[in-house]
Amino acid sequence: MGRWYTGLTIGIGLAATNTGNNLLFLVLGLLLASIIVSGILSEQSLRGVRVERRLPSVATAGQQALIGLQARNGKRRAPSFSLEIRERGGDVPGHGFLVLLPAGQSAEAAYRFVPQRRGLHRFEQIEVATRAPFGLFEKSRPMDAPAELVVFPRQVPPPPSTARTLARDGERPEDRIGLGLEVHSLRDHRPGEDARSIHWRSSARAGRLIGMDREQERRKRVCVVLDQRPLRGEVLERAVEHAAALVSRELDGGAEVSLALAGAFLPAGSGEAHRHAALRLLALLEEGGDGLAAPEPDGEGSVLQVRE
Amino acid sequence: MPRAPRGPTLLQAQRWAGTLTSAFAFLACAVSGEMGPAMTALFPLAVAGSAVAGRRFHGRVQWAWTALLAGALLVFGVQVLAGHIDIILAAALFAELLCIHRLWHRRTGRDELLLLLLALLLLCAGAALSAELTFGLAFLGFAVSGTWALALTHLRSAIEEGRGPAGSAALLNSRRVATPALLSGLAALSLFGIAGAALVFFTFPRVTIGGLRRASRPAPVAGLGDRVDLSRRGTIADDPRVALRVRLNPPPRGEPRDLAMHWRARSLSQWTGHGWRSPDGGLIPVMRLPRRPRGGGVPSVLSADIEVVGQFTDGVVFTPEGWPLGVDFRRPGSPRQLYRNVEGDLFYQPVDGGDVRYTVAADLDEPAPGGLRGRGQRYPSWVEADLAVPASLDARVHALAKRLGGGKDPADAAAAIERWLATALRYSRELPGDVADPIADFLFARRAGHCELFSSAMVLMLRSLGIPARNVTGYFGGRRTDAGYYAVRAGDAHSWVEVYFPDAGYVPFDPTPASARGSRQEGIGARMVLLWDSLQQTWRAFVVDYDLVSQTQAMRRIGQILHETGQRLAGRDGATGRLRRVIAAVGTAVAAAAVIAWLRRLRLRARKAQERELTSDQRRAVALWRGARRLLKRAGVEIAVGTTPGELARRVPAAADIARAYAAARWGGAQLAPRVARAALRTLDAGLQVAREHRP
Repeated sequence: MGRWYTGLTIGIGLAATNTGNNLLFLVLGLLLASIIVSGILSEQSLRGVRVERRLPSVATAGQQALIGLQARNGKRRAPSFSLEIRERGGDVPGHGFLVLLPAGQSAEAAYRFVPQRRGLHRFEQIEVATRAPFGLFEKSRPMDAPAELVVFPRQVPPPPSTARTLARDGERPEDRIGLGLEVHSLRDHRPGEDARSIHWRSSARAGRLIGMDREQERRKRVCVVLDQRPLRGEVLERAVEHAAALVSRELDGGAEVSLALAGAFLPAGSGEAHRHAALRLLALLEEGGDGLAAPEPDGEGSVLQVRE
Repeated sequence: MPRAPRGPTLLQAQRWAGTLTSAFAFLACAVSGEMGPAMTALFPLAVAGSAVAGRRFHGRVQWAWTALLAGALLVFGVQVLAGHIDIILAAALFAELLCIHRLWHRRTGRDELLLLLLALLLLCAGAALSAELTFGLAFLGFAVSGTWALALTHLRSAIEEGRGPAGSAALLNSRRVATPALLSGLAALSLFGIAGAALVFFTFPRVTIGGLRRASRPAPVAGLGDRVDLSRRGTIADDPRVALRVRLNPPPRGEPRDLAMHWRARSLSQWTGHGWRSPDGGLIPVMRLPRRPRGGGVPSVLSADIEVVGQFTDGVVFTPEGWPLGVDFRRPGSPRQLYRNVEGDLFYQPVDGGDVRYTVAADLDEPAPGGLRGRGQRYPSWVEADLAVPASLDARVHALAKRLGGGKDPADAAAAIERWLATALRYSRELPGDVADPIADFLFARRAGHCELFSSAMVLMLRSLGIPARNVTGYFGGRRTDAGYYAVRAGDAHSWVEVYFPDAGYVPFDPTPASARGSRQEGIGARMVLLWDSLQQTWRAFVVDYDLVSQTQAMRRIGQILHETGQRLAGRDGATGRLRRVIAAVGTAVAAAAVIAWLRRLRLRARKAQERELTSDQRRAVALWRGARRLLKRAGVEIAVGTTPGELARRVPAAADIARAYAAARWGGAQLAPRVARAALRTLDAGLQVAREHRP
């Protein structure tokens, strides 16, 4: 609109100069004054506005992620109008809009974006722009806000299991006393012991209270192995996605999962923090690495080799 | 429970503001009176119609609108080519139709912007069509409502773009946005716009090319005619409209509120039986006005700057009391030329119906009454017409004249008749109606009448005594205005007498009682008319007639004020040139230092404001980051603005610890102890030092 407005102003200026009609000069004055007032107010609207970006804790390729833009108006009296807050210079295009940001207050805008790839997404600057009050011209102010967001691999169904070594499903007993379900050994009941430790059948047979010890059980342990060295492009991406799917599936199944990659190893573990660590490792996996050492699977437990 | 907000929704307010803006733009055109009754009435009807039924017609019968607009364009084009209307008026009329079309088809923000664009074009057309104060008022309305419309339309568009059609509906229909506070703020903003417009208006260089200038519009001519009819019926009503605007130089002593001055228009010497008319005869151009007979000595000259409102001029030149010495049309290069008729009345040509302004210089030294005596009754032949006595004149008129002035010197006779009429008869605005002899009826039956009857009776009585006299029409009076001029109103129309004396020429006599001369308009209506006229003159002086000369004078005046101020600052006696230069240099240095300090303060404040919002660890992280960048820059490693901590760590392994610590403290909520930060910087510095030393 600014171009039209400027063109019209120039046209009226020429007409006024040509005819010497003072009323056209008056109209010209109004148009020029509006440009000046618009510029001053735009500047005023941007002054004192600070923006912080709020990144999501988890972002996955192919799934919508919400980025928050927390804006604060540091001015004491003057509100800011019609603010467009947008990313500038980074990997993520996005923008939010605030109609009004009262003086001394904060407000949050947000935008959604769907990451198309895994890996590191850089954010460089946030640009606050406004066309207030008349929408004639845009005035913007960039501000440094470097940040990084690691996008986890795309969620796909896990591949058919190609386990090199298969273990029993579920928990595996160890030959020592613990808190498992299986009975390890029988002994005399000790006074004060929990009644649930009494082996009632043996007690009935022996005519006295017989206690029992249970076996120590260990959780299922799986090592997901991915040798990325020969993989390139889409093949690598599919392999990473499959590895991520396997990690998630096993973790969801209650297993302790370790991750063996060429040049990197994540010891076995479970829980959300471990899942994020594994997915983060997979998200940042890069092509190449010919000089890296071959993956070394965890010696214990099953090995799930991702193959192409 | 909070009360639900009243008032319009954002969408309603935006649409109303758009409508109001286009209405003011239309008004700016309509006040010119050139659009014709049909097109003038069409716009308000269309606005009302669009408000009531506009939504029903959205997107319908588009072909009919297109055909209508195409047809109108064709008709206006033909009219322009045929010379029936000028192109500016045609453009204004077409812009009005386009505006109406847009008022009936408003859906999107783009439609609203188009409407505002058309309204602006309409305003420009109004600027070309009219120069009246009413345009100025419409302009002010346009400035305020246009600010509303532009800002609200922008808000609407921004919301629609930012939130999408579904997300924006709630906000657009909210009554919490277009609040009275917002509208008041925007109105205040428009005042800044108007002030800026005034500033730009007065400072924008008035260099004009002068092409395609639109001629002023001819107006119907009325005013003081060349006839007087004494047999009219009814009552003379006061007319408060301003006919003349007069500025006197020198101004009258004491600058009285009411001026006692005759403004002569023309003489009417031929009796028609029921009144007077001017004699037949053409006009002859005047190069120079005749001198006063037996003029001598230094005359006492009054310069009257007279502006005659177009409606009240039919080409006659008004002159103040005294002997006119010269007439000067104000504008250089004015095509107007001065003429006179056989009676010596002054005229100008061409008469275009517009306002006319000229300056008349007059010799105020009228001969004293005593000085008119003894000039005898030998009259030149060209005054014979002023001696003609109608055959039907009532004998009582002559008898009365003889009783009052018979056997006396013409000067004494004229004075006696004037005095008798002014004292013995009564002034009345009641017109006599169709009587057989209006003079006899006035003198002997009603013994009351208006100024034309007084002057007519005196003329006929003097003529019956063989003294040449004639009836003169014009205005009497003038009311001082706040704009510094005297306003002579239409109701000040007056009639008086001129008597010829050898070697003195025509000398004015006024038999109408002094208290009844001119109008006595004191009502609110009359005051409002004067106030309006005063405002209109101010508007004209400061806006319409503001030209390069005025601008140069204004700039010179400002320069003079600045110069005087500088002189005063330099001391009453003035400083030496060297001292002045020193003062100027010091002043410049102080001003520059102040500007630099102000800019630094602004920058510092902005940085502090940014840092105030950070925690101490975050601030420390920012400081660490800046310190690292400084060290790297010193070591010759340029770090681009958008470099992320991860990128820095990959590029400069020695800075990996700092990058990690910065990212953790700045974004991750981790703590950063001052000693840790200092140690990290020391480590980086040492690492960079080693790298420099081992550089091949």
